[in-house]
Amino acid sequence: MKLRMNLVLLALAAVLLFFLPDLLKLFFDKASVSYLSLLINATSLAILALSWDILARTGQLSLAHAAFFGAGAYSTAILVKQTDVSLWLGLPLAALSAVLLALLLGSVTLQLRGIYFAIATLSFAEVLKAVIQKLPSSLAGGAAGINVEPLFRPQFIAGEMERWEIAFLRNESYFLLYAGLLLATIVLSLLIESSSLSYAFSAIRTNEEVAAVMGVKAARFKLLAFVLSSMPVGILGAIQAHRIGSVSPDETFNVGTTVLALVTPIFGGLYTSLGPILGALGLASIEEFLRRTFSEGYLIGYGIVLVLSILFMPKGIMGLLRSLRKAQRESL
Amino acid sequence: MDLTLLLQGILSGILASGLYALVSVGLALAIGVIGIVNFAHGEFFMVGAFLAYQLFISFGFDPVLSLFFVAPALFILGALIYRSSIQFVLKAPELNQMLLTFGIGIILQNLALVIWGGDPRSISNVPYRSIGYQVGGVSIGLVPLASFLISIFIVAGLYFVLLKTPLGRAMRAVAQNRTGASLVGLEVNRIYLLAFALSAALAGLGGVMIAVIQSPTPVVGFAFTLKAFAIVVLAGLGNIRGILGASLLVALAESLVATLVPDGDSLRNAVFFAIIFVVLIVRSRRQA
Repeated sequence: MKLRMNLVLLALAAVLLFFLPDLLKLFFDKASVSYLSLLINATSLAILALSWDILARTGQLSLAHAAFFGAGAYSTAILVKQTDVSLWLGLPLAALSAVLLALLLGSVTLQLRGIYFAIATLSFAEVLKAVIQKLPSSLAGGAAGINVEPLFRPQFIAGEMERWEIAFLRNESYFLLYAGLLLATIVLSLLIESSSLSYAFSAIRTNEEVAAVMGVKAARFKLLAFVLSSMPVGILGAIQAHRIGSVSPDETFNVGTTVLALVTPIFGGLYTSLGPILGALGLASIEEFLRRTFSEGYLIGYGIVLVLSILFMPKGIMGLLRSLRKAQRESL
Repeated sequence: MDLTLLLQGILSGILASGLYALVSVGLALAIGVIGIVNFAHGEFFMVGAFLAYQLFISFGFDPVLSLFFVAPALFILGALIYRSSIQFVLKAPELNQMLLTFGIGIILQNLALVIWGGDPRSISNVPYRSIGYQVGGVSIGLVPLASFLISIFIVAGLYFVLLKTPLGRAMRAVAQNRTGASLVGLEVNRIYLLAFALSAALAGLGGVMIAVIQSPTPVVGFAFTLKAFAIVVLAGLGNIRGILGASLLVALAESLVATLVPDGDSLRNAVFFAIIFVVLIVRSRRQA
């Protein structure tokens, strides 16, 4: 029942997201370009965060999400450069390569827990980055990377549109693509939440030995979580590669991606579908606001926000909402 | 294989391991004694480096002299950070500690960027920077040698404190059993404060040396956080004695690849993390 209601809400959100760029344009005119880019940041952050959270529900705290992102980005970039097939084939290929990587990493790290698991996944991502850099540069471009064709080439007649309108047009299609991927990831997460998977995941997270005694096949569920978590991130990497226009080891396998993947769900609220999304919306907006207000050194404020958020809302935005609702109920 | 090159690689590796040990042992203290997953540890290292740089630029302080200023400064910084934030998350989940300390790291890193800018800085014009010795075709720089000796001296001092002094005994007791330690009358919170401040001071001392050996930028800290974590995990959580061996292993591997493999210098990080990955995986399989 709850799932059905959530899916209806999601369908409404989909309609809203579809018309959102037009609404922005209608209300904000020229300023809509920066709102749209903020939305793009928030959506891609939400995809990353929600995917990370899906894996974390099994207690596996990955520091390898930059590797899944990079695998998706690089497989698309190489496909586009080496062949003449449709650009869109890159997206399923990206998902596939992220999944293969996840299966590889997931199956060797099955016995590792907590910080040992985290450091092993981090090391894996760092090694992969070096491997990509050392591949023949005719294939992967070495340290300089490769250029990637854009997915969309908006049609316009020079002189007829203002510059901001062209910029808007370029980003609009990407936004719809990100929004679609986010919706798909949310559906995935909701399906997990409402199925028996969620019990298996949280049993493994709470105590793997006990879960095993109760008959939960931990290895199988942990690998499944790895696969489901890596898929959206791989596709995200591919879309990002097209939008940015290039991939390179340092930019694409940036440990910053990994860090954001974990910071955002903690900020929003772990082990939920809504938490990582709220976290992404919150963090992307806060960062944008700080950047506009302080320019140089604005990240100091970002750091302060993270520190304060842990001290005053240890369970993230979701925890805050839950305690507000509880207080409201008690006052009635 | 060229034997002198091999010897050179081994020697440089051994010398580099001292600094790794010094930085990692501080983190091991924070994780082992306090149980805090400190993702800001490398930033203490970075602050140490830039304080030494500033002391050199403003007052002409020799880096060796700066050691005696940077250590207490970082001790105080560590204590302040512990009092203002860390002590509130001692019992929080690991992830919360990660996010909190990561936030602290961002603050420190960006403060440094505002103050010193993003360019690499180094204490380059000290007279002894270019001094080196030749022993049978193998060259030893005075600065790496001195930084190794100083690092090992400090780490040995820490081991002595932990093993032979009342404070060290208290730290070990707290690490083993927090409740038990407080029951026998130890002031747990004060010991945590000291351990955290000490951990920051150790990282800061390492920073002073990196400012002479290399040319760090304010973003160098996070890479050292990750490396220090990897070394601590390699040694095994809570195993402070294992730090020396773990540091030696990764430093030797890095240095051998850098000297023996063509274009090996760019492979340093890859080798470092490959070793960590393989050891973790192999160890976990053997235990299973």
